[in-house]
Amino acid sequence: MRFEVNGEPVDAEPHPGQVLRSLLRELDHFEVKKGCDSGDCGACSVLLDGAPIHSCIYPAHRLEGAAVTTVAGLGTPEHPHPLQESFVAAGGFQCGFCTAGLIVTASTFTEDDRHDLPRLLKGNLCRCTGYRSIEDAIRGVANTEAAPTGDLTGRSVAPPAALRVVTGTEGYTLDLRTTGLLHLAVLGSPHAHARIVYLDTSAAEAMDGVHAVLTYRDSPATLFSTGRHEQRTDDPDDTLVLDPVLRFHGQRVAAVVADSVAIAERALAAIHVGYDLLPAVWDPEEARSPGAPLLHATKGPESRIADPARNTVAEFHRETGDVEAALATADAVVTGTWRTQRVNHAALETHATRGWLDADGRLVLRTSSQVPFLVRDELCHIFGLDTDRVRVFTARVGGGFGGKQELLTEDLVTLAVLRTGRAVQYEFTREDEFRTAPPRHPMRVTVTLGASRDGVLTAMAVDELADTGAYGNHGIGVMYHSIHESTSVYRCPNKRVDAQSVYTNNLPSGAFRGYGLGQVIFAVESAMDELARTLGIDPFELRRRNVIVPGDPMIVADADERTDLLIGSYGLDQCLDLAEAALARGNGVGAPTGDTWAVGTGMGIAMIATVPPRGHFADTSVSLLDDGRFEVNVGTAEFGNGTTTVHAQFVATALNTTVDRVVILQSDTDVARYDTGAFGSAGVVVAGKALLAASGKLRERMLARAASLGYLGGVVEGGGVRAGDILVPAEKLLAAGPLIADGSHDGTPRSVAFNVHAFRVAVDRATGEVRILQSIQAADAGTVLNPEQLRGQIEGGTAQAIGTSLYEELRLDNEGTVTTAAFRNYHVPQFADIPHTEVYFASTHDPFGPHGAKSMSEAPYNPVAPALANAVRDALGIRPFELPMSRDRVWRLGE
Amino acid sequence: MQIPAPFDYARASSVDDALALLERHGPESLIVAGGHSLLPMMKLRLARPEWLIDINDLFELDFIVRDGDRLRVGAMTRHTTLFESDEVRRLFPIITDAERTIADPVVRNRGTIGGSLCQADPAEDLSTVCIVLGAEAVIRGTAGERVVSMAEFHVGPYETSVAHNELLVEVRLPIRPRSGSAYEKVERRVGDWAVAAAGASVSLAEDGTIDHVAIGLTAIGLDGTVTEAEAMLHGKAPSEELFVEAGRLAALACDPLADQRGAIDYKRHLADELTRRVLRRASSRAAEAQEG
Ligand SMILES: Cc1cc2nc3c(=O)[nH]c(=O)nc-3n(C[C@H](O)[C@H](O)[C@H](O)COP(=O)(O)OP(=O)(O)OC[C@H]3O[C@@H](n4cnc5c(N)ncnc54)[C@H](O)[C@@H]3O)c2cc1C
Ligand code: FES
Ligand code: FES
Repeated sequence: MRFEVNGEPVDAEPHPGQVLRSLLRELDHFEVKKGCDSGDCGACSVLLDGAPIHSCIYPAHRLEGAAVTTVAGLGTPEHPHPLQESFVAAGGFQCGFCTAGLIVTASTFTEDDRHDLPRLLKGNLCRCTGYRSIEDAIRGVANTEAAPTGDLTGRSVAPPAALRVVTGTEGYTLDLRTTGLLHLAVLGSPHAHARIVYLDTSAAEAMDGVHAVLTYRDSPATLFSTGRHEQRTDDPDDTLVLDPVLRFHGQRVAAVVADSVAIAERALAAIHVGYDLLPAVWDPEEARSPGAPLLHATKGPESRIADPARNTVAEFHRETGDVEAALATADAVVTGTWRTQRVNHAALETHATRGWLDADGRLVLRTSSQVPFLVRDELCHIFGLDTDRVRVFTARVGGGFGGKQELLTEDLVTLAVLRTGRAVQYEFTREDEFRTAPPRHPMRVTVTLGASRDGVLTAMAVDELADTGAYGNHGIGVMYHSIHESTSVYRCPNKRVDAQSVYTNNLPSGAFRGYGLGQVIFAVESAMDELARTLGIDPFELRRRNVIVPGDPMIVADADERTDLLIGSYGLDQCLDLAEAALARGNGVGAPTGDTWAVGTGMGIAMIATVPPRGHFADTSVSLLDDGRFEVNVGTAEFGNGTTTVHAQFVATALNTTVDRVVILQSDTDVARYDTGAFGSAGVVVAGKALLAASGKLRERMLARAASLGYLGGVVEGGGVRAGDILVPAEKLLAAGPLIADGSHDGTPRSVAFNVHAFRVAVDRATGEVRILQSIQAADAGTVLNPEQLRGQIEGGTAQAIGTSLYEELRLDNEGTVTTAAFRNYHVPQFADIPHTEVYFASTHDPFGPHGAKSMSEAPYNPVAPALANAVRDALGIRPFELPMSRDRVWRLGE
Repeated sequence: MQIPAPFDYARASSVDDALALLERHGPESLIVAGGHSLLPMMKLRLARPEWLIDINDLFELDFIVRDGDRLRVGAMTRHTTLFESDEVRRLFPIITDAERTIADPVVRNRGTIGGSLCQADPAEDLSTVCIVLGAEAVIRGTAGERVVSMAEFHVGPYETSVAHNELLVEVRLPIRPRSGSAYEKVERRVGDWAVAAAGASVSLAEDGTIDHVAIGLTAIGLDGTVTEAEAMLHGKAPSEELFVEAGRLAALACDPLADQRGAIDYKRHLADELTRRVLRRASSRAAEAQEG
């Protein structure tokens, strides 16, 4: 069959059943991405004879004589298409995984179409940006600068990879050709709790093209946790690579390694398994009650499970002061129980790992991870390997949000590579993501508040029950974090906090933007709103009377607790003022006409630590290259959070150059010494601070080297040293030996950042539709290092939180099977669902952060759901207690 | 499941060729039109054809023509063509209303009316639209052509009376004077499949009373139309009270399932609310048509 791709003739025979997307990728057109493979996301969009199509649902056989254009055919980094330039100038992407498809689709828009973007962009999902910057790109609005000179702090520098991302030339995890690659597919458990009693793989093994069938008999006996942290002991050791006991529907039973995914899937069907069904429990309340089926009863103290006999992975009970007494004498008491749902990360790039042995027989993994170093260390622990025999690295990662702080594909690939000696790939389908990747922990949170008539809090009690699912990955950390900044942001003499995280036979829960805080903040901020109503005090004013201010201790429920968490800079007061003023100003958007619509306003606040507790480390180095560029080695990964841009800004500023002269090598266990990873918002404040130190040191060394050559009193400039009229070039400086400097940071002390969100909404009582009329977020991120990126993080976090608040819910049936396993059923917000958010920055300078900055990547998510719920409450007169506030639920409230 | 099960592929060059190919490859062969329902189904292993007969080249089935008192629409007419047709908008605004909400523009560039009707997904919007408009389906087999009503066409969810060796070639929509029609859908979010939707078509007699009315519902368990409400409205002048009563009857007539899109009572409520809205809009459009 003959056709054309980007003007080049191609002669290829598609396999039976092949779609255009996979054929194009086989032809090394890696710019064509996969987000869903079912026509729902647009990541695979290409032009066919000039018209956009979803290549994943287009039969490849139809191509005869056709002309295909991918994003790489529209333009190249050297000669970009005007729309590609606009995406760079606007900053129209974060991870960039949706970008190829978006640019292809938008390249067909006419001038008129720009008025119709919500409708025209229905088929293109972006999980990162919240769409405003994409709209700017299509409209030709410029927000960034390419490579400005001078002090870059506070400048909207474009990401170094921008031109490559928009032209489809930046490689993501699977965007490379590996010859002789084998594929791995997994048989999922059909039962939520069962023991394998019979397993016959002989028929599968005998099939043509099958290289290995892996079962629990092949699994290392070392227990571990898929959740990864700096201290491996922070998570319970309760998981095996392959386990004869299955604790949730979809858990790995066996894996087949074969020449193709199709063969592997056929072989899976030939595996015969006998199961002994065990009693299962799905409700966390039941799971913690006496007599419940136990999931990990046989595990001992070395597994670090708080109480296996009560299905309890972690619990916390503490009181300061006397809450009951304070409630008894309070002028106003409010109480309620709030519930939150499972939410899937839906990063557009699914989890995937490709592994092989290099020429020295070392294991190499290219993987979609936020934590390559932690993955390497844990694989070494599980498989008994030396760390210098394993290299783990990432290419650009297509979105993470916490979902890739988890070891979900790397362990099986390791097992398969070690077994076969071949290169092996394991790529999650979108369905795998929904069925098995750990979602946000669902929680039930009861909050009781007491206050005096003048609105001063006298009592606060929080009782949390979290469903950690079948395994405890992140269960402990999420529980401890969830109750921390949500409660300690309030000054209150009498506090009690009870929290418990329990095992159930549901799919395991995990880490997700905000790490549990969002769920508890939803409850606490809703309760504060109720208290404001009860007392007749404005909700902004009620916050002002009760939030901590500099000098106050941060107390959860233990007044004597001492931590390294401090208020480095304080902008909560400014955030409250900014959001309140914006809400009062309004934005001129009116409610829809019709007597079924009701209008309301609401707000919520959030505080978050800028670095995770218990250590977060970054070892970095910066060196001078012969041509006067600087090479940076840093371990943290780039998945759209923008740390690479900020790192380049830091180094360029410190060494008086431009960002295009800074080469960043990152997220590779071979190029950097160590980095705990890109989570807990640590990329800018930890790795960035380490880099500042390294760059400063290198500057001193360059000057010293110049002085030793007789050039005194110089300044670093143009990649060399200027002394008077003479520019000593890099080459000359390097003649006497390399110039390199290290910088490290240990992530302590830590500071706190603040966010305040406010909404004005219209609610249709007749259909339950919630329409956002105005959305406002004010943030205290310390010094604003890159305004456009910071705004993007806030918009993206807000968009994800709007998804959580209104649309998204991973649902299970009454046997623990996920029923929302496709974008058709699981609603990630589209362009038309997300309003523009007005973003305001407080002006503060944090002494602990680099250049006074604080982190701002998880934070923006947290205050959104309660602000929206409080606005719905204001409109309808009835309070929502449950997320998502889907149309049927809202309708029921208003009925 | 990321790749469809293996299949072989043939491109039909004419309707007769397609029929011959279907005949030759037997019950394991399937027609592919846009493929935007079929390929996702194949990926999920919900369909496992061994042969795909591609009818994309059959331009002879891509047409919209007025033929006396009916509009003939070829089975390969794309969603986009329907959406952008002025004639369709003028005669059957219900189609334009519905098309506005179906999928995204990229899917609409490929998906066809024939594929939508043959897919018979309970959430498919055009099925309801055709039922409401009293469409006829023209089905061709090697033995010749037959014309069936939508009630005969539609057997059940994912099931139609088109036999495996037949093709849907055309949809015929009767044009009635003094008519108006409308469609409204509630989605969980923009561009989504319906939680529930309703469509109505109203024709007025010279005296302004309702001469003919049809009400259909999408995704909430009603085959056919809301006959009780239609009988009640017939011969009366359109009024808000009647619409309210029709809404009540529609809510009674449907039989929704509880799922991630909402609970049963919510969907019944939507049947009521949406029926009122589309009747209101269809009637006012009919009145405009009468004046115009
Ligand atoms: C992301 C996405 C969102 C969507 N959202 C909506 C929505 O909101 N509302 C909605 O109504 N639809 C929606 N659809 C469905 C879309 O409208 C249908 O995919 C499309 O209209 C079906 O047409 P097709 O030409 O692609 O059919 P195909 O997929 O090619 O065929 C569907 C079935 O019909 C059979 N068939 C097709 N044509 C004929 C014929 N002429 N004679 C006999 N049999 C035939 C095929 O064998 C197959 O079984 C969506 C689809 C996608 C991918
Ligand atoms: S990968 Fe094709 S639409 Fe999602
Ligand atoms: S930038 Fe759009 S999905 Fe990441």
